This record gives sequence, C-alpha cells and structure tokens, in this order.
Amino acid sequence: MKIYEGLEIIDLGLYIKDYKALVISDLQIGLEESLTKEGFFIPKLQFELIKKRLSSIFNKIKPDKLIINGDLKHEFGFINKQEWKETIQIIDFIAENCKEIIIIKGNHDVILEPITNKRNISLVDYYKMEHICILHGHRIVLDSLNSKILIIGHEHPAISLKEGAKIEKYKCFLKGYYDDKILIVMPSFNMLSEGSDIMKGETLSPYLAQNLFDFEVYIAEDKVYKFGKIKNLK
Amino acid sequence: MISLIEKQYSEREIKAVLNPILKEWFFNTFKEFSIPQLYGVMEIHNKQNILISAPTGGTKTLTAFLSILNELLTLSEHNILEDRVYCVYISPLKALSRDIEKNLQEPLNEIKEIAKKYSKDIAIRIGLRTGDTSTNDKSAMLRKPPHILITTPESLSITLTSIKFRDLMRNVKYVIIDEVHALAENKRGVHLSLSMERLEQLNPGFTRIGLSATIAPLEEVARFLVGYENEKERNCKIVDVQFIKKMDLKVLSPVPDLININHRELHHSMYSLIDRLVQEHKTTLIFTNTRSATERVVHHLKEKFPKKYTENIGAHHGSLSKSLRHNIEDRLRNGELKVIVCSTSLELGIDIGYIDLVILLGSPKSIARGIQRIGRSGHRLHETSNGRIIVLDRDDLVENAVLLKNAIERKIDNIHIPKNCLDVLAQQIIGIAISDRINVEDLFKLVKKSYCYRNLERKQFDEIIDYLAGKYVSLEYRNIYAKIWHDEDNGMIGRRGKLGRVIFMTNVGTIPEESYVKVKIGEEPIGSIDEGFLERLRRGDVFVLGGQTYEFLYARGQTAQVRTSVNRPPTVPSWFSEMLPLSFDLALEVQKFRRLMEERFVHKRTKEEILRFVDEYLYVDKNGANAIYEYFKEQYSYLKEIPNDKKLLIEVYKDPERGTYFIFHSLFGRRVNDVLSRVIAYAVSRLQHRDVEFSINDNGFYIRGNKDVQVLRAFKMIKSNELRELAKLAIDKTEILKRRFRHCATRAFMILRTYKGRTKGVGRQQVASTILLNAVRQLNENFSILQEARREVLEDLMDIGNATIIIKAIENGEIMVKEVNTNLPSPFAFNIVLQGYSDVLKIEDKIEFLRRMHQKVMAKINT
Repeated sequence: MKIYEGLEIIDLGLYIKDYKALVISDLQIGLEESLTKEGFFIPKLQFELIKKRLSSIFNKIKPDKLIINGDLKHEFGFINKQEWKETIQIIDFIAENCKEIIIIKGNHDVILEPITNKRNISLVDYYKMEHICILHGHRIVLDSLNSKILIIGHEHPAISLKEGAKIEKYKCFLKGYYDDKILIVMPSFNMLSEGSDIMKGETLSPYLAQNLFDFEVYIAEDKVYKFGKIKNLK
Repeated sequence: MISLIEKQYSEREIKAVLNPILKEWFFNTFKEFSIPQLYGVMEIHNKQNILISAPTGGTKTLTAFLSILNELLTLSEHNILEDRVYCVYISPLKALSRDIEKNLQEPLNEIKEIAKKYSKDIAIRIGLRTGDTSTNDKSAMLRKPPHILITTPESLSITLTSIKFRDLMRNVKYVIIDEVHALAENKRGVHLSLSMERLEQLNPGFTRIGLSATIAPLEEVARFLVGYENEKERNCKIVDVQFIKKMDLKVLSPVPDLININHRELHHSMYSLIDRLVQEHKTTLIFTNTRSATERVVHHLKEKFPKKYTENIGAHHGSLSKSLRHNIEDRLRNGELKVIVCSTSLELGIDIGYIDLVILLGSPKSIARGIQRIGRSGHRLHETSNGRIIVLDRDDLVENAVLLKNAIERKIDNIHIPKNCLDVLAQQIIGIAISDRINVEDLFKLVKKSYCYRNLERKQFDEIIDYLAGKYVSLEYRNIYAKIWHDEDNGMIGRRGKLGRVIFMTNVGTIPEESYVKVKIGEEPIGSIDEGFLERLRRGDVFVLGGQTYEFLYARGQTAQVRTSVNRPPTVPSWFSEMLPLSFDLALEVQKFRRLMEERFVHKRTKEEILRFVDEYLYVDKNGANAIYEYFKEQYSYLKEIPNDKKLLIEVYKDPERGTYFIFHSLFGRRVNDVLSRVIAYAVSRLQHRDVEFSINDNGFYIRGNKDVQVLRAFKMIKSNELRELAKLAIDKTEILKRRFRHCATRAFMILRTYKGRTKGVGRQQVASTILLNAVRQLNENFSILQEARREVLEDLMDIGNATIIIKAIENGEIMVKEVNTNLPSPFAFNIVLQGYSDVLKIEDKIEFLRRMHQKVMAKINT
C-alpha cells in the first residue's frame, strides 16, 4: 500500500520505488543471546525467522538497494557471538538478493565496523536520496532538516486495538509531521518482540515529541490496513 | 499405613520415659500434660511418623519437641551428643521460625539451669537458618552445628545442596513440619515434599512430624507428610484434636434489612458494629481477605472514630515492609494494640499475644479457613474462641450461615494438593544434580516417593530431563541452555558449570514475584493492583477491585487514580484477583441448603414452618433467619425455581441494550465456574465464530452475546471426557496463562530472577517472559514448562477435577438442567450480573480481529 507519494509499505519494510530501495529497521540480531546473558534463556530463533520474512519480501519485489535503518544488532558496546555469526549471515543473505547494502548506525550500533568491514559495506549516520532522508531517529540530525521526507526507526511502534474486554497489539507504521516535513516511523523487523504500544503516549525519538496523536496508523499484517489518526482509535 | 491414634497414653507412661531433668523442668512450668501431648509424645519417642492436628495454642510445638529434647538431653548428659543436626524444624514463615527459636531457647536455658543444679552440663544448640541468616552465622553453624536446626522450606533445599552443610544433615533423626496445612496446598509444599525425599536419601527412615491447624482430609495430609516407600505409603499416625477448643461463633448483619439500604448507610452501620464489638473486647483481630480492604478498614475506623483509634490500631499484610510488620507484631504482643486488621497474613501461628475476638469481614470462603482464623482468639486450649462474621449482602449471609453450621458440626472442606508440578520438579532436579551424580532411574524412583509425584508419568519426567539437558536447542548452543549434565550412555546426571550452585541458591523457591501499584480515589486508598494489570488500563476503563467497580482515570508513579463507577459493567477482565475462592465442599453445602428450602416452598410450608427450619438447620439469629427466608421467598415467588445441588438453573434474560444474558446458577465456587464458563464460551465461539463475553463469581456465571447466540446448544455439546481438552484450548490465549507461564519459567530456571549479581524487576521479567513464551510456542506447543503452566491454571488456580464431576453428574442425570426465561434477573442472579469479574474468550485470530476493527474504525471515520 502506498503510504506516501513514491513510498510503499511491503510487509514490515518500506519500499522507495524511484530508487528501488527497500528500508527495514531494528532487526536486533543477537537479542536472544543478550537476554540469555541476563538470565532469560530464550532459544535462538530470530535468524531463521528474519531470513524467512525477508525471503517473502524478495518474492514480491526485487530491490537494488537494501537500507537497514539502524539497530541491526542488539548489543551496545560490543559484539556477542551470536551477532558475529548471524549478522554476517544475514548480510550475506541480503547480498544474494540486492546489489547494494547500506547500513545506518543506530544507537545500538556503537560497534559495527568490524562486521561491516568484513563485507565491505558502507556504514553511515544517515542516508539521503534527494528529498528523502533516512535516519535511525534516536537523535536529531541537522542535515535531515532540509529534507522533505524523513524516515526513522528506533521507536518500535505498535498499536493496541481494543473492543470491550478484548485487546490485541500490532506492529505499525506511523505517518505524520515533524515541523513541515513528512515523518514516517517504521516498525521493527525484530521477530520476537511485539513493539511498544503507541497508545500509551510515551515515545523515545525526539522527532516524535509533538502531535503524536495526529499521526496516522498503518498496520501491516496479511495486507496493509490504514487506520487513520491515532486519536480516532482512543 | 495411615492410622488414627484412638487412645491417649497415661501421664505415668510418659513420665517413665522422660529424663528427670526434663521432667523437673516440665512440671515446674506446667501443671500437667496437655491432650495433644498425651496422644503424641510417646509416639514420637517411639520414632513413629505423626501428624498432629490441633488449633492454635494447642501446645502442638512442645508436643513435637518434648521427646526430641528428651533424647538430646540424655545424649548430652552422657557426653555423646555429636556435632551434627539431629532435628530439623521447618516452618513456612521466617517470623514463625524466629518465634520458635525464641520459644525453644528459653526452656532450654531453664533446663540448663536445672542441669547445673545436678552439676551437669547440657550442650544442646539451636540454630536458625532462613533467607535472612548472614554468611557469618552460616559459617559459624558449620563450625558448631546446631543440634536443632530451625529453617524454612527454601533454606532447607539450599542446605541440602550445599557441600558442607549437607554433611551435617547425614544423620538427621527428626523432621518437624509446622503449619503443614498451609504448605500442602501450594507449590512450596510440593517443593518441600521433594526436599524431604532428598533428605530421606541421605538418612533413610527419619521420623516425620507434621503439625497442622484444622484441615481435611487428615489422611491425605498425612500421606503428603510421609510419602511413599517402594510404592507403598509410609506409616503415619494421626492425632486429631482439632476441636478441643470451644467456639462461640456468630454471623452478624450490620442492619436488619440488607436489601433496602444504600451503600453509604450500610457501610456506616458496619463500622459502627465493628466499633461496638472492638470496644466490648480487649484486643480484636480483624480479617479482611485482601490487602486493599485492610487499608480501607483502618482508614475508615480512624476517620469515623478519630478519638478511639489512633496509635492503638494497626494494619498487617504482605505488602508492608518487614520492619513495619515486625513493629506491629511486637506492639500486638506487648498488648499495645486494641485492634489489628489483616488480610490473611495473621492466619498462621506466629505468636500474636492475647486476642479475645476475631472478626471476619466477608466470608473466609472455606470452613477450614474460618475455623483457623477464629481459632486465633483465646490462645489457650481451655479458652473459648470468639468469632464474628460480618456479612454485607444476602448471598454472603447464606454462605456464612452454612459455613457456621459446618464449622459447628465439624465438617471441614477438603484441601487441594497440587500434583506433578513439572517446574518444581525441574528446580529440585537441578538441586540434586548439583549435590550429587545420580542415575536417572534412581532419580525417577526418588521423585515418585513424594506424595505429589507418586503418579508422575515417565514421559513427563523424561521431558523435564530433556529440558534440563538443553535438548530443546540445537547441539551447538546446548552448553548455554543446559542446566544439568546428562550422559545419555550411562544415564547419569550431574552438575554442569561452576555457577550452578550460586544460581540455585539465589533463585530457589516457588513463590511468584508480583509488584503492585496503589489504587486511590483522591487521597483515599482503595487497594492495589498488579503492575501488569495497570498496563492494560486506559482512561475510562471499568474494573473490579475487592468486589467494587471503579473507573480508571490515570496513573502517576506508583499510584493509579480511579473513581467509583456508576452501574457500568467492567470493561477489563480482572485476570488478577486477590479474592479467595469459595471451597467446593462449602459450595455444595450451600446448594444443599437451597434444595431443602425449595422443597419447603414446593410443599407450601408456612412462613413459620420455614423459619423454624432455618432456625434449626442454621445457627443464625432472628434477623438473619428472616432475611434468609425473605431472600428465598423472593426467588421462589419470582421464578418458582430455586437452583440447588440437584438442579442447575439457567436463566435467560434479554437486556434491551446489552443483549442476551445466559445466567448459570452454578454455585460451585469460582474455581469450578472459571472452567465451566470458559469452556461454554469457547464452545459458543467455535459454534458461531464470534468472541463471547462472560463473567463469573462463586455463585454462578453468565455468558452474554447478541440475540442469536446459542449458549444452550453449545452447553449441551460439552462432554465430560472432552472437558479438559476444551478447557486447555479455552485458556490458551488468556493473560492468566501468560502470567502463570512466567511463574513456571522462573521456577524452572528458564528465567533467573537473580543472575550474575543482578536482580531483575517483575516488569522486566514479564517482558522477557512474553518473548520467551513466543519462542517456546514456535519450538513446541507442548513444551514441558508450558504444559505445566496450563496444568497450574486448570488444576490449581481453577478446578478442572470438580468441573468434570459436575458435567458427569449432568450427563448421568444426577443434576437436572432447567432453563427459564426472565424479563429481569431473578434475585439470586443479581450479584452474578452486577459484580463478578468478566473476561472475553478470543476465538477470532489476530488478523480477523484486525479486519473487523478496521471496518469498524473506517465506518466511524467515514460517517
């Protein structure tokens, strides 16, 4: 479904048609190992699930570029074993399907170079394509402010729908404004966590500090469902 | 064999075996042996396993210790007392352990004094080891081991896992389990039952002594205490002196007419009544059932009678800090308090000094609990226990009148002992593997010696071994996930990794952690709700707390602000619930009373005749009898039907706005109703493919749907042999299962609360547990720990067993099902429709729900 001129929601990814570029964000590879180290013994499943989900996207579209919009892996200051192994494998898997991979640094990606260097991939703080700026969103990037469209991750947005005593949570895209710029917030491509409920009104990104309830909600499940503004769902 | 001791021993017989020093001390202190002592002392002296059931103040503890002290004294006299533990005393409460230490140390000092007179040196030592014991004290204990070790179930299992301490336990001769009734009914008891077998493995044949308040059936509790040897129950003698204390019990209503009165007046009268009772007595103990009500009662008493209740009133419940609780307990013992209000926390036998009246606000929900609570007054055996139950509505009145009848007639409801708990099994196997290498065949035999696992299937046991050996993840990662070392070739298991022991010691136990936030109206505390529950609340939501409905406004920090909600049904299911469930046996007794009443109405007995019957059958005053008569008469006049134990009444009531209510007058207690309502809702939703809302309480439940909802048809489709399978499906998407999975995963060490020196909060645990549950489900829907969570919900939280019995009774015609249509809910249906906690059965999958919500929202936007 079209979320904006030239921008299409494909599953949990955002496809920028003119550039044949697919954006995904917040994969958090290594989450299981990280949680396991804390004492939550989560079996390792993400790698296979992410691969499967990406495959199904590649069956629908053939992007030239794949842009990972931050937090490719989970750990902050170091690279855990699972990350070493699975991040490279995911990158290799993507490389089989796309010509170019661009990785945008997220707040979790303090150390990513050792991995990207291995595969000769560009690691950037943000990435611009004419009027579009793709950035993780954990802090304001000055250079983004002259773009017309901003695409961020970081927030892991999800929305809970409620009817009577029934409640269910879905990952979602959000579309609204940051000043006069179109702002699109992407859901996480993490396969184990559900995301954080936007209805609670607590956000992380400085780009989302204003008018949250005027943002429009798009839920991508079997297809994309456009729900209108958050305030209408309350 | 389990057998009741019929005959008391004579004083002469006991005196004959007592060491002269002990004898001198005893008769310096007491005039004569108490009844429990006349029954029990000799049996323990003869090394017989024994269960002693007696009320508080029943001299149980000394009965248990007398023969043991006697033996230790003689050994010490002859200088052959070794440096090791002879007796382990286990109590469920740290506070109780401290009491016992004190209450044992004093006599011991006195005995030592007497011994000195005869130039004898007595060197019996007592040691206390609980979670609060410092490392220093623990190592001191290793150097100079206590002969009597006082501990808790958790600390016992740590003791058995620690290399050095374990050696001191190799010749334990006696184990005393205090308050065994409070342990047997939950997973702490299950855990303890395995620790007992671990101890048995170290020194076979030690004597087991169980001390219990009022409980039934004593035979089952005895089996729990002693376990099995070679698949035969070990011997145990039972001393049953539950009813030696006299009881003066009354059910009181604050007003003569419970129906034509508004909430405010009723509450005003209730507090006046409490005040009057308190003023007429020296010290009163009030039980409220919930933490929230405890705070509320203290608050209102202080507010309404500011001069009477100041420093002399105290609250006691589980959420108070340790120091605050100790402070209250001390003031109570020192006689500084006029009234103490507690939730359930003072049920157990910690020494609370002189209490001459117990008030129960609201039903204790089981006969045994009622007797236990009331038994807290009149601390000595010859004193009378005074108990007053204050009721606030007519269902309460009937329930408690029947409860009182059973208490007076000594009919006690049956305890439920959890069985085959796989999470507890996993934890204990980790403990066993840390301390020793053991063959899995031997391990299986060891486990099956516990009463709680005697029917454990080999398959389930093997699944737990597989889980612990990390077989649910690929070989490559197994070393991270495995909890034990398992050599499949020779069937041996053992310790894995260096951290194992520390992890065990810091995570041992079965009590689930919860965190609560306060609920307030302005500054007035209403109660507390679980943090996880708060997560689900949105502004305007209506929820049930302590039987009242409230509207949620907002949350700030650790406080949720609400307002009393006017006549709106709950919008959020209270899957957490502090409320005690009505016991099944008491429920059946209430139903039986309903039947006897219906028979009298059917036979057109006069008001006088029926009142006389009520007066004879129940033990209520005139007001009470009248109120009960009026209540039943209203019901009978309105419907010509009174639901009872032989007749399940289903009332179909069409509300013009809210749709059709199918009200099941299934007075079986909420544990059974939880199963029945969910299964019916599930059957309906499967039949018609739509979510169904339902609401339950102890007296029944309703299912609500739109006009064409086919509840009766669905109900008829349910077969007793499919009930468990259906119930399993019906609970699969519930919050309660998620939450219980967290508890089970924590007990099985899939989630470690404390790891590498860090302790995680409940919120963090729940987040990780949700991820874990997602992952486990993708691996295997029947993963052992998930299975256990389902079992816990169905068997321990709910009551699938008795629910099956009910459905069977309907199938074979013992219970007749009768449907009636009403324009307004009948009097008996009022409380079911009004309060109760509601939930919704989700049948639509996530995507179907999404589609429907999408259409709904679009329709709203486009108009």
